[in-house]
Amino acid sequence: MGEIKKTEKLKEGYEQWEEKLKGRPELLDPDGKKYMTDSGIPVKLLYTPLDLEAIGFDYSRDLGFPGGYPFTRGNREAGYREAGIRTKQYIGFGSAEETNELYKYMIKEGNQVISIAYDLPTQSGYDSDNPRVLGEVGKIGVPVCSLEDWEIIFDGIDLGKILVGSVCNAQASVALAWHICTAEKQGVQLKDLKGLTQNDILKEFIARGNYIFSPEPSIRLVADMIVFAKENVPNYIPIYCCPYHIREAGSNAVQEIAFGLANAIAYIDRVLKRGLTVDDIASRMTCLITGRHRDFMEEIAKLRAMRFLWAKIMKERYNAKDPQSHKLSMWDYEGGIGFTKEQPEINIARAAIAAVVGALAGVEDIGLCTMDETLGVPGHKALTIALRTTQIVMHETGIGNTVDPLGGSYYLESLTHEIASRAEKIIEKIDGMGGMIKAIESGYPQTEITKSAYSYQKRMDSGEYPIVAHNTFRSEEAQETRAFYRAKPEMIERHIDRLKKLKKERDSQKVEKALDNLKRVAEKPEGNENNLMPPIIDAVKAYATVGEICGVFREVFGEYKEITGV
Amino acid sequence: MNGKRKIRVLLAKVGLDGHDRGVKVVATGLKDAGIEVIYSGRHQTPDQVVSAALQEDVDFIGVSNLSASYMELLGKIKGLLKERGMEDIKLLVGGIIVDEDIPLLEKMNVKPFPTGTKLQEIVDYIKANA
Repeated sequence: MGEIKKTEKLKEGYEQWEEKLKGRPELLDPDGKKYMTDSGIPVKLLYTPLDLEAIGFDYSRDLGFPGGYPFTRGNREAGYREAGIRTKQYIGFGSAEETNELYKYMIKEGNQVISIAYDLPTQSGYDSDNPRVLGEVGKIGVPVCSLEDWEIIFDGIDLGKILVGSVCNAQASVALAWHICTAEKQGVQLKDLKGLTQNDILKEFIARGNYIFSPEPSIRLVADMIVFAKENVPNYIPIYCCPYHIREAGSNAVQEIAFGLANAIAYIDRVLKRGLTVDDIASRMTCLITGRHRDFMEEIAKLRAMRFLWAKIMKERYNAKDPQSHKLSMWDYEGGIGFTKEQPEINIARAAIAAVVGALAGVEDIGLCTMDETLGVPGHKALTIALRTTQIVMHETGIGNTVDPLGGSYYLESLTHEIASRAEKIIEKIDGMGGMIKAIESGYPQTEITKSAYSYQKRMDSGEYPIVAHNTFRSEEAQETRAFYRAKPEMIERHIDRLKKLKKERDSQKVEKALDNLKRVAEKPEGNENNLMPPIIDAVKAYATVGEICGVFREVFGEYKEITGV
Repeated sequence: MNGKRKIRVLLAKVGLDGHDRGVKVVATGLKDAGIEVIYSGRHQTPDQVVSAALQEDVDFIGVSNLSASYMELLGKIKGLLKERGMEDIKLLVGGIIVDEDIPLLEKMNVKPFPTGTKLQEIVDYIKANA
């Protein structure tokens, strides 16, 4: 009886409050046309317990307790009291030597996880001396042709202590081999080796664009890596799914998590066919996701919805038993899309808000695009500022003192629920199409992302979507020119000379034999008995180059021709 | 420009950079403005771009590049256009264009549309220069 009375009183109060604003439709926005989230979810002027009642909110079912199913409130029982946010910047440029120095510098400054930025030739499986890579060597990341370059990059950096992740996908198998071989040489026991490879190839087809082979052989390589890692490097994360790039390519927040999860589902389904259990993969999969300053309540809700949906999918769809499988650890990155070229210093403020978003959502790792993101590859100063920004949020704001501090907010919980429901509908649609590989082949996600990106652009150009210093509050003052990193021709030359020397001096018979063997296995059908990882490792140990190894795959698998969706 | 024929623009991602958000948005915007657009996709080589331009009989080639390799690639495209007698085709470049490269691009007769350009500016430029 008491509860009913309370609800009635609440309704009465709400109506009285609404009454006072009756003549002000521009404030109340009753049709939800003016005030909405970035994803187009209408935002009410006020949220109360009535909104939670309307969605049938159930604390135990929808939130639970931190460290417990459905993990909406976070993966750890004691949140950041247990472990603070790990700083994880995406870095690398010029040459192996410069990158080695840069990593040592960033470690000294407190960056905890190194995420390697490879240049485009490396990510595309070409050597730096290939004519196809004109103008690209060392530009947006470090060029790595062979194990030798990896050894230089990590010279004096203990791979048994520092967690390293490779941001690459199409040639991720080769990067895993570099990591394993370098760690072995440093004396790290493989059963203890920690590290990550991005390896989310499906999102390359719909967002980031660094594929080489078509989806089928690409996903075979992904499955080979996951199966191999389980047996040989059990502490290594052989894949992390990347809603991040889908968002940066133009999707909204709902599509970001829906497409990201649909990709993860495709990988899980594939490795189940290879004889692994869902716990074998789900317990070790993590995620890279955006956490933006823009419309930040929706971002916090999205990050919580992502954790909730992951847990639900693993439990209900896959019947995963290991609680570890229900947890999705997240690396949140403020993407550069929301940054301006105008007055680049103000991007520091945007990044700071983004770091707060990640912290309020309880993510494990944070990386921030630097203020120079819209201009070029950041130098030391911009990188350090990004790192310091996350450190300030972790150590000065007190956000970590309590777990999920915004949990229970009527607005946040309403949004979390709405985002999860909308994302589930998209996943159902993809299921109906026969899964993500089929959806990609039909061009569905590509077209949806482009539609969404175009709508943002039109709203941005019209000024309806305000961007400070760009389409509103523009500064009349002349812009200061910023110093950012540009690849040094002499370092690139040195790198290519080293590659030539390596090709001359290595045991060419051994290389040839390793590549022949790789080809033989690649020509066989996919299966655990034909896992490509062991022959890739043999080739890498013989100092075969990424261009040679991917060249074998290009020959056997062919190259992918994209569906543009335009 | 012959008024009977729609303006034709070839858009392409040159080099190895895969970020195609910008170029796809531009493709959609130009189409909405009544311009004929042929988007040839990612990872195009200069030779592929020039061959497609010839085959499609375009008035403009717009290349997108966010990996700082545009100077080298545009140089190559320029050379090929000259070699094949296609110098009447106008070149545009979009993406992350470094400020100090802008005068160099203009000298090469390449119109840059750096980050932050409005769609209408590109449409207006194409219509005015067709």
